[in-house]
Amino acid sequence: MAPKSTAAAKQPTTSTPSALHETSPAAAGNAVQSLLKAYNETTSPRLKLIDAFLVFLMIAGVLQFVYCVLVTNFPFNAFLAGFGSCVGQFVLTASLRSQVNPANRNEFKDVSPERAFADFALGSVVLHFFVYNFLG
Amino acid sequence: MFFKRVVALLGLVLAACARSSTGDSVLVVLDSSLDKEAYSVFWDGLVDKGYSLTFRSHKDARPAVVEDEVAQFNHVVVFAPDSKNLPQDLTPQSLVALLDKGTNLLLALSSKKQTTINTLASEFSLVLPPPGTPLISHFPARDTPATVVPVPPPHAHPVLTAGLPPVWFSGVPFAYTPNPLLLPLLNAPAEAFAADTTSDAGADAVVEAADRAGEGLWAGSSLALAAGFQATTGARATFVGGVEMFSNEFAQKELPQGKLSGNKQFAQDVASWSFQESNALRIDKVKHHRVNETEPRETYTINDNVVFTMHVSKFNSNKDTWEPYSGIQDMQLEFTMLDPHIRTALSPVPGQPGEYSVTFRVPDRHGVFKFIVDHKRKGWTHLQSTTVVPVVPPQHDEYPRFLSAAWPYYIGAMSTSVGFVLFSALWLAGDDREGKKKGIKTE
Repeated sequence: MAPKSTAAAKQPTTSTPSALHETSPAAAGNAVQSLLKAYNETTSPRLKLIDAFLVFLMIAGVLQFVYCVLVTNFPFNAFLAGFGSCVGQFVLTASLRSQVNPANRNEFKDVSPERAFADFALGSVVLHFFVYNFLG
Repeated sequence: MFFKRVVALLGLVLAACARSSTGDSVLVVLDSSLDKEAYSVFWDGLVDKGYSLTFRSHKDARPAVVEDEVAQFNHVVVFAPDSKNLPQDLTPQSLVALLDKGTNLLLALSSKKQTTINTLASEFSLVLPPPGTPLISHFPARDTPATVVPVPPPHAHPVLTAGLPPVWFSGVPFAYTPNPLLLPLLNAPAEAFAADTTSDAGADAVVEAADRAGEGLWAGSSLALAAGFQATTGARATFVGGVEMFSNEFAQKELPQGKLSGNKQFAQDVASWSFQESNALRIDKVKHHRVNETEPRETYTINDNVVFTMHVSKFNSNKDTWEPYSGIQDMQLEFTMLDPHIRTALSPVPGQPGEYSVTFRVPDRHGVFKFIVDHKRKGWTHLQSTTVVPVVPPQHDEYPRFLSAAWPYYIGAMSTSVGFVLFSALWLAGDDREGKKKGIKTE
């Protein structure tokens, strides 16, 4: 829940806000602007770091998928490894975000942020091991 | 040591005597009505070449041709044209069995009677006219009877000596059928025909009979006078229309032009072909390997480049040895799985006597393939070779890796890892500060 909304909210920051103002109707522009403002003010820097990483992973995944569709899916194992590493890393990072988000503290009472990061790091290492094994 | 030397010496002596690629013992079965001395020119020619002749009357049963299922002679000459019954070991079935054992045959047909040898000829795809119809020709003008005909031999023939003068012939002609194993040795002159009388009084009757029988006249240059047959075992059988061709009388008889006839040389040429002396080939060695390798592979991978090499020898009867032979220009190699997937020329390698080689790419198809060489030419020993070899798809580790087309995926995977490391570093760097802050806050 949380990662999806934040990722969607984060996206406009990558495009230029000024262009958005000119092309969008005033009401929508205001809504986006206020959303951005609220995000900037209420989100902790740690969550912003996670969100930046998530956006990066999403862009990398989309680029690889577009290359696969438009150019070639050969060798297919390399595509699966590259695309899978983005998707897998995205899922792991998103779950880290939901576990360290102070807003979700009630749902993850017995998981400390350190424990959550350790899980994330271990999962990522295993993921990368499989990815490089599959890549060549 | 001494024993070994004796054996080696014996081998040398035997080799020096042998003049045929299969052996030098000849059994000659002569009709008792034929005088052995009347053919001495032919016998002497054979003995001079190194053959050992054993003579036997057509009525005798000994020496037997086959004893304990083993052929006792390498070659059998049956000059018993007019004897109706031959002994048990020379019946048509026995003679065919002899061919199966690799024994070569030289057989003379009868122009007078229907003998067992004549019956046998039809089993070799030769069609004989009715008994008692010898070859007749009134041309050219000469002082011999019309049944004694000078026949010009074919010009370029793989077996006969080039420039042979015409040969005398007296006997029965026969017709070929389109059997690929037959080798025409001597055809009748164009103006010759087969008839049961030399007088021209019955000429109309001959034509009428031919019309009624529906088989046409027995006439013209498509009639055979001597024909060879090479069995699939490699053994050779030669049928000659008249035994007089080999006689001293014909060998020394002058042609109408005044030259000496070519019978002596013709008889030796026919005998040397029949006894597998001339035009005898064999495959010495067959090799196959991948390009840039020397040893054959158990299996080949699809799209491999493969070299196929074959060594062929020809028997040299003068030196009595097998010599490398590069003279075959039209040999082909097939790479076959049910159908030939590849059929390519197997050409002689320049500078390598007897070596034929071709390099080709294995088709993009896996399965059990065969290298097949199947070279069959009239008058030459058939060359046949089959080598089975499996063609497999590449092993899992034989595919190409790290293709340039996959670089976006490699960069994607590496960027994820780099991103993960950076993220972890930033996270841990921020952790202290925030932990302190948090600690302060919670405290």
